[in-house]
Amino acid sequence: MTLQECYAALEGDYESVMGRLRTERLVQKFVLKFLDDGSYALLTTSMESGAYDEAFRAAHTIKGVGQNLSFNKLYESSHLLTEALRAKNIEEAMPLYEQVKADYAQTVAAIRQYQASL
Amino acid sequence: MADKRKQRILIADDSEMNRSILADMLGDDYDIIEAENGKEAVAILRKQAAQIDLVLLDIVMPEMDGFGVLKMMNDFRWIEETPVIMISAESAPARVQQAYELGITDFISRPFDAIVVHHRVVNTLLLYTKQKKLMNMVTDQVIEKEKQSALMIDILSHIVEFRNGESGQHVLHIRTLTELFLKHLNQMSERYYFSKSDISLISTAAAIHDVGKIAIPSEILNKPGRLTDEEFAIMKTHSEVGAAMLEALPVHQNEPLVKRAYEICRWHHERYDGRGYPDGLKGDEIPISAQIVALADVYDALTSERVYKKAIPHKKAVEMILDGQCGKFNPLLMDCLRDMEDMIPGAMSSSEAKDWSDENVLRNLMEDLMQREEISVSGRTLQILEHERMKYQFFADMSQEIQFEYTASPSSVSISEWGAKHLGLDEIIRDPRHDAKVIATMNPESIDRLAELLAHTTPQSPIVNFDCCVRMGGVERWMKIIARATWSQDEPPVYKGAIGKAIDIHETRVKMAALEEMAAHDTMTGLYNHKFARIRIQDMMTRKPGSNFALGIFDVDHFKQANDTYGHMFGDQVLIHVAKTLKRNMREGTVSARVGGDEFLLFFEYREHVDLAINRIFNSLIGTYEAFPISVSMGVAKTDMLGTDYDTLFHAADQALYAAKRAGRGQFRFYDGDSCGTLSLISPIDGDEREQPQRPEDDRTDGGKEKET
Repeated sequence: MTLQECYAALEGDYESVMGRLRTERLVQKFVLKFLDDGSYALLTTSMESGAYDEAFRAAHTIKGVGQNLSFNKLYESSHLLTEALRAKNIEEAMPLYEQVKADYAQTVAAIRQYQASL
Repeated sequence: MADKRKQRILIADDSEMNRSILADMLGDDYDIIEAENGKEAVAILRKQAAQIDLVLLDIVMPEMDGFGVLKMMNDFRWIEETPVIMISAESAPARVQQAYELGITDFISRPFDAIVVHHRVVNTLLLYTKQKKLMNMVTDQVIEKEKQSALMIDILSHIVEFRNGESGQHVLHIRTLTELFLKHLNQMSERYYFSKSDISLISTAAAIHDVGKIAIPSEILNKPGRLTDEEFAIMKTHSEVGAAMLEALPVHQNEPLVKRAYEICRWHHERYDGRGYPDGLKGDEIPISAQIVALADVYDALTSERVYKKAIPHKKAVEMILDGQCGKFNPLLMDCLRDMEDMIPGAMSSSEAKDWSDENVLRNLMEDLMQREEISVSGRTLQILEHERMKYQFFADMSQEIQFEYTASPSSVSISEWGAKHLGLDEIIRDPRHDAKVIATMNPESIDRLAELLAHTTPQSPIVNFDCCVRMGGVERWMKIIARATWSQDEPPVYKGAIGKAIDIHETRVKMAALEEMAAHDTMTGLYNHKFARIRIQDMMTRKPGSNFALGIFDVDHFKQANDTYGHMFGDQVLIHVAKTLKRNMREGTVSARVGGDEFLLFFEYREHVDLAINRIFNSLIGTYEAFPISVSMGVAKTDMLGTDYDTLFHAADQALYAAKRAGRGQFRFYDGDSCGTLSLISPIDGDEREQPQRPEDDRTDGGKEKET
């Protein structure tokens, strides 16, 4: 699996990230590093315990990282979740949270597959 | 310095990923510090804001967000020196506006573009580096200008003093006293408030209070006796003349310094009750600056020696002023004088020790600079320095250590306050090598040795440890001086001086000496043991290579009988008795030791008639102890025959002793080269590491040799 195929699998924008980070080496480094990022774990625990302020920051971080790495699908859903949490609209946030979970799973699965092929 | 080190960038972002992406984008050209929330960022800035060249700041963070950090940076004024680039996807115009109002320089929005990030960072750093350089240039020029004007005033006032035949310290004293009074008035009275620049202005202007004396004929100025009424009238014109000179200045009329100087020149001989001159102003018609200088002038005139009078002691002078003997002053100033009474002598003498034109002017300048908004940036650096200085002084005082700083050229030493008091020295000493008090404290050889050690260090290993005796309050104590030489950054490095401290190791040292002493002695007789005697003897021979020495070994005749008949306790008493007798009868400088069971050694320098000396000691040892008759057999070896090798001497003396015993005991023999075989008689005692010698099998009868001690 190439990095470009990985981006296709997680529905990201390979061209955009290469345009900004410049080298495949750097993109690869951060894509793999994404697996170790603790923000998602923080999001799930804080959502489940009802700590929505913290959940907001976690979603915001996922959004920022997703944006920086051009993980467009994950970025979109985490962006919506962030805004819902910022507005403290929990009712709206819940289905968005499910979407983020699904997108995160998709993203991680694609990266794992890419990692395995290295 | 800023040119050499890498520029330091603080990245504050709660996402490790984001920090890492930014760090990678910036590459190895920068020194990157990371903070994962606002509080951490503030903690880092608090410690090292001056060393951080740029902050990349996220907005949304736990603990404290980016706006919180910006607010702190404003409160502590770090923002004036450290530029901030905000990084965020937040693009609501109100938030952006708020961030710019809080002083950020630029915005980078997500997603990061490597080229954009890099260029924004480089541009911002460049801009600030230029600004800092510019500010340093301005500061340097201001300092230069202030230095020159202070210098001009110094020259001017010294011309006046010189003509006046005054001590040269007068101007210094007036300045110091004026400053002291002004500061104290600030504290004690609500009526007056003098800012730091007022104080600096008035005390500088005070220096030229007598400028009008230039116009007074020197016969009057320097007349040793009392002035006639006519002469006094001329003398009195100096205040008006001085003021007129200033008034006649073609330019600078509106300079605050000139205005203050005018007041002071004209009215520093006015008195509060209107009985002064030239205008007979009364009470607060007299400007406060002139009132203060008048008081300072009177005090210094009283306490200084002049052509027409001797110096009056401080206490008496204050009494005379308070008593109204020098005219009436503002009651407030009299209170001020009473409050300050105890501080004045100290302040005056320390003003003499310091170079006013440099230190105080610069200090005032520093304080002034800090108040000026437009160059407050370098003010903060100075504040940090001041803070460090205060911290250092506090710890120095707390630690009760003698700490010092030495400057090689021009040679001077400054000692911590506590240290100076403890040693009875001044805090600042110029040319310490020729300072009487210093030399009385530490002997010149030690000073030179220490200076030499420091000067011969290298920048790589600058530390020196040096033990020496220091006299404090008439008592000598051992001190350990640990110092670090300071070397310049030049190529090649230049030795600049040293910093260090002195630690009192007297008790430790004395204990060590006592232990050494104990280890050197035979516990029973108190004489040296063999091992130590040997060291002493070798040392004596090395020190005086041209002299003649004799080494004698003797043992107690029939000692075994004493042991066998009366017991070992008695035997020990006999040995102690012999040791005492020996000590009593030997000359000063003789080394004596117990080197075996009942064998003793003595060693001394002689000029002539060594046989008489030996004979005298030999005879003194003959006697009785508790009815036990004591006599000894002795062998002697001399360096003029055998040279100064210890083992050779010892061996020869041992052989001569053997010969003496063989000849019937109770006698002494000099080693003459052909005697008596090569066997030794000496037996070891406990703790003596000397090898057990061989002994003649046929000599068992004479006793002692088999005794265990």
